[in-house]
Amino acid sequence: MMIEVRDLHFSYGRIRALEGVSLSLNEGAVGLLGPNGAGKSTLLRILLGFLAPQKGEGRVLDYDIRREQAEIRRSVGYMPEDDCWIAGLDAVRFVAYFGELSGMPRREAIKRAHDVLFYVGLGEARYRMIETYSIGMKQRLKLAQAIVHDPRLLFLDEPTSNLDPQGRKEILELIKDISSAKNIQVLISSHILPDIEAVCSAVVILNQGRLAAEGNIQSLRELRFRLYETKIKGDGGVFRNRLEENGWRVEETEDGLTKIFLPEEANIVDLFRAAAETGVQIRHLVRSRTSLEDLFARTVGVD
Amino acid sequence: MTIREKGYSHWDGCLSARPRPWWPITRMGIGLMLKKKPFRFFYYGGFIPALAFLIGIYISERIEDFRYLTRGSQKILEVNPAYFKAYFTSDFLLFMLVVLLAVGGAGLISEDLASNSLQLYFSRPLKKRDYLFGKAAVLAFFILTLTLIPGLFFVVFKLLFSGSFNFLSAFPWLPLSIIGYSGLATVFFSLYGLCFSSLSKNRRYVSLLIFALYLLSDLLASIFYDNSKNPVLTLLSLKINLQQVGAGIFKQKPPFPVPWLWSLFVLIVLASAFLFFLRRKVRGVEVVK
Amino acid sequence: MTTVIETVKLSKWYGSVLGLSDVSLKIEPGIVGLLGPNGAGKSTFLKLVTGLLKPSLGSVSVFGEKIIGNYRLFARIGFCPEQDSFYDEMTGWEFLTGLMRLHGYSAAESRRRATHALETVELTKDRDRMIRAYSRGMRQRLKFAQAIAHDPDLMIMDEPLSGLDPLTKRKLIRLIKNFKAEGKTVVVSSHILPEIEALTQTIILIHQGKVFAQGDIHVIRDLIESHPHLISIKCDDPRRLASHFLRAPDVLKIHFGSDGRSLLLETNNRDQFFGRLTAVLAEGRFAVEEITSPDDNLQAVFDYLIEK
Repeated sequence: MMIEVRDLHFSYGRIRALEGVSLSLNEGAVGLLGPNGAGKSTLLRILLGFLAPQKGEGRVLDYDIRREQAEIRRSVGYMPEDDCWIAGLDAVRFVAYFGELSGMPRREAIKRAHDVLFYVGLGEARYRMIETYSIGMKQRLKLAQAIVHDPRLLFLDEPTSNLDPQGRKEILELIKDISSAKNIQVLISSHILPDIEAVCSAVVILNQGRLAAEGNIQSLRELRFRLYETKIKGDGGVFRNRLEENGWRVEETEDGLTKIFLPEEANIVDLFRAAAETGVQIRHLVRSRTSLEDLFARTVGVD
Repeated sequence: MTIREKGYSHWDGCLSARPRPWWPITRMGIGLMLKKKPFRFFYYGGFIPALAFLIGIYISERIEDFRYLTRGSQKILEVNPAYFKAYFTSDFLLFMLVVLLAVGGAGLISEDLASNSLQLYFSRPLKKRDYLFGKAAVLAFFILTLTLIPGLFFVVFKLLFSGSFNFLSAFPWLPLSIIGYSGLATVFFSLYGLCFSSLSKNRRYVSLLIFALYLLSDLLASIFYDNSKNPVLTLLSLKINLQQVGAGIFKQKPPFPVPWLWSLFVLIVLASAFLFFLRRKVRGVEVVK
Repeated sequence: MTTVIETVKLSKWYGSVLGLSDVSLKIEPGIVGLLGPNGAGKSTFLKLVTGLLKPSLGSVSVFGEKIIGNYRLFARIGFCPEQDSFYDEMTGWEFLTGLMRLHGYSAAESRRRATHALETVELTKDRDRMIRAYSRGMRQRLKFAQAIAHDPDLMIMDEPLSGLDPLTKRKLIRLIKNFKAEGKTVVVSSHILPEIEALTQTIILIHQGKVFAQGDIHVIRDLIESHPHLISIKCDDPRRLASHFLRAPDVLKIHFGSDGRSLLLETNNRDQFFGRLTAVLAEGRFAVEEITSPDDNLQAVFDYLIEK
């Protein structure tokens, strides 16, 4: 277990930020979701070793969250949301500097800085002053300084904010690659749900200081009945009538999707037969699951 | 033989707590400051008095060789504690130190505030006091090289040129005075520069404030003193306080008829105020919003 | 369909730096997504359309009139810029009512409109707090409110959903779709392609100062001939299914998934392919779980058009 905490409580004066949060997380990428003010930042500060809980305990990276905070922080990488740099430095020196401050010997820090800059795609630009970098490059640089000391816990705060579609895609690929490496736990906080879905295998949803949902994204989104989303080409009306004759429920959404409720005893083959007989092509077939957005809305209790 | 895989690779070293966690900060700070041309100009310029005084020591020893210059007056250059006091409390040197604070030290913390890098520092296992000490050590380095080092050099050169230890046996407390005054100046000026640097994200504004305090305090003191002739009012001036303390430490007569311990007290109070505001300003940093 | 925005050979450069080159297009009522890499010319385009910049060549007209210096027309346009700049010492309420007065509404009307707009973006309970105390999401919502409060017919929105949590995004997306239903026009510029997909199927893609594509995403995808369509199928026996397509002339490539339960095909004629597929599956000898087109989405269209 990378992270195992029980019953965390924390209040800032009278504001109760966390009220009894317990978590168990393993390697891989975990998305951290929640409305603003839900207690995410407080939880993160405790997990990353910046704050001790007022009640509750646990272990992160096998260090106690109250007594061994410095050890936790040593193995933590943080990629902040907003822009940060140091004037007058090139990328190699910047990354090596922070590697040293994390406890790496100087030579090792320089060596690893080069490696990490190549990895994030800044190899060609690593001797340039960081003030000359574009937004996408600065984002990668932030990632580089977060992983230079090979952290076992990596926290990424809105890693794709302000990036253009190309940049977003590339950062998400990097994050996926890092998450699949052994021995590293990645926590991602983002408001862009498609990004979380693309990268994370598990998700933690906080609301008002408590855990609203936690678990594997796939299983959280499973629906119990067989609902299929389809896109068809051809005469939709005739097709729909045909299915309804069989006693199936059919709905059409505004996006041009046809939702088909398949009863238990029916076979998917019947669907294709009906299509072939009515001259309709089935171009898209996906087992429907709750979208992450719906899951979020349901668990946060609004809407 | 295996081929190197693309993709994320782990580092095979191990992270450890270092004995001086602030050292990379100091090293980086000194490097960045020396890169700036204006700073280098003033820093090297600050050595001019040291050079002049060093030559003075040489001349005073070889006074016979230079007798033709003196034509009668014997003791134009005697190297004694008054000589040292003259170096350490010279207007030029003190002003140079303030210039170094304004030109170099102003950016130490204010640039970190402007570039938002404090959250990067504090996401490391770095204590706030390590960060502050590391930054202060940058200033301390430059100040010590302009005070302590020349001071000790003067002693050594004096001994070398005079060929005997008479000087030291005459004034055995002198090295301690040198260390004491240098230390005081270093601590005071480091806190002065660092505190102001933490006040704003705008480096030029900070430079302005640093100059303002030094120059205006002196101006005010001289205005009030000229008006009322009350020497206590001179304690308003930072420069005069430093000169009073310098005189006291080197066992000379202070320039104004006010006890030099009062000046020392003023400096200590100011330094504590600087430290207080400094710690408060940096405390406001939160990692993870 | 009346044309809301029309540009004819529109070009703009800043000294020697190119902003936009030779853009001729028509925008009709509805929601249009504007996308492109950084520096492509999107902001230049938006500023030209809102009359904040003068064209170097060509013309741009909105609602049939030239926009430049046309104050009367501004009343029909709402602009939600990307930058965040407010008068921090004002409260949200003061800001919004102030802007409404600038539009020429009476004090009572301004208050009514401001109230309605704030309710829509759910800032009612924070309206009397200073903007300085607003969080990022609140500032974004206020920006949105000022863009809609005067009931414009055309809304230009530059990254309108940035900084908002998923639920607020959902509400605002619904709101924008309502505008479309009311017959208004919304031009949304965004980097987050899934958010554009949630709003509309119509896009304009700008790159290197030119329009690379305009229209329905799927129609555009069909036009990209250099990249045949990918079809992904999950079933119990992918290899046997593939054997039915080995002789099909439209199938260019077949790739088997490493899990042994999926295959990926490339076809240059979807009609032929799907016709055959539906027929094969109707015979009933395969248990198929999923059929998808992995590159029939906006990200793929974007990539294919932008790549060198």
